[in-house]
Amino acid sequence: MFAFYEECSNKHLIRALPPPPPPSIYAAYKHFAYNSLRFSVFIEIQMSCTHLWCVGALLLATAVAQTTPKDEHFHEELVVRPLSGDHVNTYFQFTTRWHYGQKENLYHTQLTPRVIAELLQQFDVKELHIGLTQGLWRYETWGYPIVEATSGAEMWAWFKATNLTDQQVDKQWAQLANVFSGVLCASLNFVDNTNSIAPKHLLRPQFMPANRESFMRYASLPREIVCTENLTPWKKLLPCGSASGFASLLNSGYVHNTKYHSLGLKVRTLCQDHDEDNCILEMTQTANLVYDLRLLEQSGNDFSLRRLFGMGLNGYCELASTSKIYVQRNELGARYQLVPPPPAEETTTRGGYTVVYGVYDMQEQFQDQGERLFNIAWLAPKGELRRQRQKPAPPPIYAHRYLLGQGQEHGRIVTEVTNSHYAPLPILVQELIPWYVHAYLHTLNIRRRPLGRNEYGSERLPFKLLHYAPGKQRELPTHLEIGFLLPGQSSALITIDVDYLVLKWLEYPPDANHGHYINAALVASALPMGTNYSALPLEGHLFAHSFNATRPSYVLGLHTEALIVSLPTPDFSMPYNVICLACTVVALAFGPIHSVATKLIVVVRQTSAPRNFLKKLKEKLFSRGSPLLPTAGEADVPEGAGCLPPEEQDENENDNDEEEEKEREKEDKEDKEYAH
Amino acid sequence: MDAKFYKLLLLGGAVRFYFVRTPLASLISDRVEFATPLNSQKRMKEGIYLLDQGIDPYSGDLVHESPLVLKALSGLFLNFPQWLPLIYILLDLLTGALLYNLSVRFVKQKLQKQRLERKNYAKDTEQLQYNDDDNYDIPELVLIAYLFNPLTVLSCIGLTSTVLSNLFLALFLYFLTKGLLLPCIVLLAFETVRSLYPIVLMAPLLLVFARRSLIGGVMLSVLFAIACVIIATASYLVLHSWSFLDGTLGFIFYFRDLQPNIGLFWYFFTEMFEHFRTMFLITFQLNATVLYLVPLSLKLRKEPLLLATVLVALMAVFRAYPSLGDVGFYLALLPLWKRCWKYMAHGFVVFTFFMVTLSMMGALWHLWIYAGSANANFYFGATLAFSTGQIFLITDLLFAHVKREFCLYNGQKIMIDGEEARILLK
Repeated sequence: MFAFYEECSNKHLIRALPPPPPPSIYAAYKHFAYNSLRFSVFIEIQMSCTHLWCVGALLLATAVAQTTPKDEHFHEELVVRPLSGDHVNTYFQFTTRWHYGQKENLYHTQLTPRVIAELLQQFDVKELHIGLTQGLWRYETWGYPIVEATSGAEMWAWFKATNLTDQQVDKQWAQLANVFSGVLCASLNFVDNTNSIAPKHLLRPQFMPANRESFMRYASLPREIVCTENLTPWKKLLPCGSASGFASLLNSGYVHNTKYHSLGLKVRTLCQDHDEDNCILEMTQTANLVYDLRLLEQSGNDFSLRRLFGMGLNGYCELASTSKIYVQRNELGARYQLVPPPPAEETTTRGGYTVVYGVYDMQEQFQDQGERLFNIAWLAPKGELRRQRQKPAPPPIYAHRYLLGQGQEHGRIVTEVTNSHYAPLPILVQELIPWYVHAYLHTLNIRRRPLGRNEYGSERLPFKLLHYAPGKQRELPTHLEIGFLLPGQSSALITIDVDYLVLKWLEYPPDANHGHYINAALVASALPMGTNYSALPLEGHLFAHSFNATRPSYVLGLHTEALIVSLPTPDFSMPYNVICLACTVVALAFGPIHSVATKLIVVVRQTSAPRNFLKKLKEKLFSRGSPLLPTAGEADVPEGAGCLPPEEQDENENDNDEEEEKEREKEDKEDKEYAH
Repeated sequence: MDAKFYKLLLLGGAVRFYFVRTPLASLISDRVEFATPLNSQKRMKEGIYLLDQGIDPYSGDLVHESPLVLKALSGLFLNFPQWLPLIYILLDLLTGALLYNLSVRFVKQKLQKQRLERKNYAKDTEQLQYNDDDNYDIPELVLIAYLFNPLTVLSCIGLTSTVLSNLFLALFLYFLTKGLLLPCIVLLAFETVRSLYPIVLMAPLLLVFARRSLIGGVMLSVLFAIACVIIATASYLVLHSWSFLDGTLGFIFYFRDLQPNIGLFWYFFTEMFEHFRTMFLITFQLNATVLYLVPLSLKLRKEPLLLATVLVALMAVFRAYPSLGDVGFYLALLPLWKRCWKYMAHGFVVFTFFMVTLSMMGALWHLWIYAGSANANFYFGATLAFSTGQIFLITDLLFAHVKREFCLYNGQKIMIDGEEARILLK
């Protein structure tokens, strides 16, 4: 029976069932291309069948062996693909798959890092993706990557439990980010509700069973700089560490010399329907690197593992079940001669797109004892001119994004999606606009341009789907998801107007004029063919599972560039001055109004004050300290004389006369005294 | 109400209509001096669009207009956007006409009052008294000051909702002079729920309608509170959520948006230390509402309209999100106090202040935001000076009023020992 399970899992039949989309999404998909609809329905039917069968197998297997080490497997894979423009893509994938059964078993970890197992106990997280990336993947020349990532740090997770609420998820999400901030030494601790969204349509869960009661959070930190301090802890999560196996190739000095490097971590749990006691934990660590051969110190276009990573391979991880290197042999890889030649070759046809891989099994290579370093060299034909090589055809869908407008007041975010396929394709775009940028939904529009024409006309494409959650300053980012059908051989220009906010002076980062980042947009589509497509199928967990994995359609995810905007900055040096000046102006109003409201009207003799400015000054200077000095003859009038009713006024006036006379007498006396 | 009135109205409409068709209109609707987070047309559009899409406009941070206004204008905005400028121009002309009628009535009341009190006036004070010519001059001046003030014209062509605020305020003042209690209370309650600060105009309202009785005053206050509740409830019925209270009144009170404007708040709270923020927020809001309310109400208890003018002006200076449209409105009320002008000493200074700071604002904004060669301090300086100029104008008006009242009863020339004396406050 156990053998049966083995066979089952080896044939990769334990599959994750994609969740039935909620009704709203069904409605959205209805508008989509026919093939998209067919895709989701087809996949569901197909997978639910295999799923039932396999879960049966799972049950049988667990009945026999609860915690045998056979339940946990580790695989390491390395894929090397030459890309156009003298680039080489190396993709490492380390997969740990653990059929742990019940939750209690999570306390006894073997190959799986303890921190991951503890996560599943502490939090209700069912699936988690983290990407730490430096550089930009060039879709137009490099095709699609095996694993998608955006520049900076990116993280998304699904939570699911009975009676889970949004507030609990928010809390768990922040805690989870903090955990991985420590585990990966990244600034993920900056992930909180002010930069996280709950995606509705674009990102699909890969765990099982998922239904609509699951919660999702997504955040990305485009400003994060990925470096050595992230690579080292990432390697520590591997069963063999960086001591042996493929991970020994990942030396920070070489990894960070690349044009693009992306570290990935994916954790998902696959459980039997309605049974939390029969689960698989799958953890995938990926490192996706793109080398620019022109930057490696060498002549010609030859390269080797030693050139790329600084050293050869010292063996395989002893804990790994499989340890294989896949080298692409066709297309751009065809011109290279491999030394040593691959012992085996595998041809995969997926969606009408054929790729030939040379396969090196490290366990075979290192069968005989003795220490040595294994190296593969790619030798390009001599005397080949660079410009003779033709540019590859662009992939069916690619996206770019840029910012329009000048100044620090208004702007316009533009996302351009191009469909070079001949048939219309459904496109989903997810925008996460940070709170310091105001987006105006009413300015959102999609214009279309057939390929080959330069200008966008006034032709608008209608939305088939729109989800919008407005942002709030210091609280929530703006979350926008739109779906539309992009006709074949054309580009869509998605524009939305934004305003840049003035922040409080302490909210600016240390280098305020560096600018603020606007996150990359996510673009998704369902391709009818597998050109350039090498992502893992949903139910597979090894790179080898993507071989011959023909499906009715291929779900594609892309990231655009992140943007940087320059917000208006205040002067950081003068808070006190500003406070003083503003308060002075308030006082300027307060003083006179206070006088008007409280003071008496007096009549003052005009001549007593000298008209000459100098004399005035002199008098002011010398009159200090002699308070007796009368400056004027005064005639006091009681408060509000002008405002009293006429009857009262009359009486007052009589009083005034008397008082005035008295005053005058007094003044005369004082004048005389002064004269003496 | 004569041919000249209609000619002026027509001319005012023509001026607006001309400018609304120039590129100036879109420029003005983006200028921070005219379009604040509260009144900008872009945000109004956004609110109406969100409401139309079934998204709560106040769940975001863009829309701060009252739900009633959004609902009322949504049909217009969505179906006939090309008629929008015309509607705004008509509303602005209506404001002008209301101000004209208001001043006609005001001058008549003044003359009537003068006739009763004339025997108490000093002899040489004809210059300070309203005369029959004022029946025509003052309303005309008010109308001209409203229709041809560049500030109101630009505010109108920028399609800011200040046009609506001005209309409601003009209606309120009109009903106040006419002595119609209920419309006054309803309008005031509406404006209060919409933008908080007009609550101070309860003071002139109480002075007009409940002059001598405390019970009357309490009754009116209760009536006002009920009207506020009814209007808030009506807004709730439109939106099915109370979020608009935080989106409008809360937004104004807590001053969440630091976008530069012509007021004192923006840079002050940008540069404020976080732990003092609450204290200064309360101080500044008190300054804009109740601080001057009681002393001025006591001092100007016989002149409710002057009180209203001064309060509207102080509101335009000290409110959280002032715009130049508000300034234009109270400037149009100044000709009502034509007989105080003799004692207004700072006219030239204030005029110069206005001209210089308003022209500097445009230039300094450009230097800061677009050219990058100036910084926020420059623009802040210009707005600060503009506020100072306005304050000079308001205090000057108050002083002039006090002096006029004094001289009206004591004569323009007060002699001490055969020499002309000066009048001072002490």
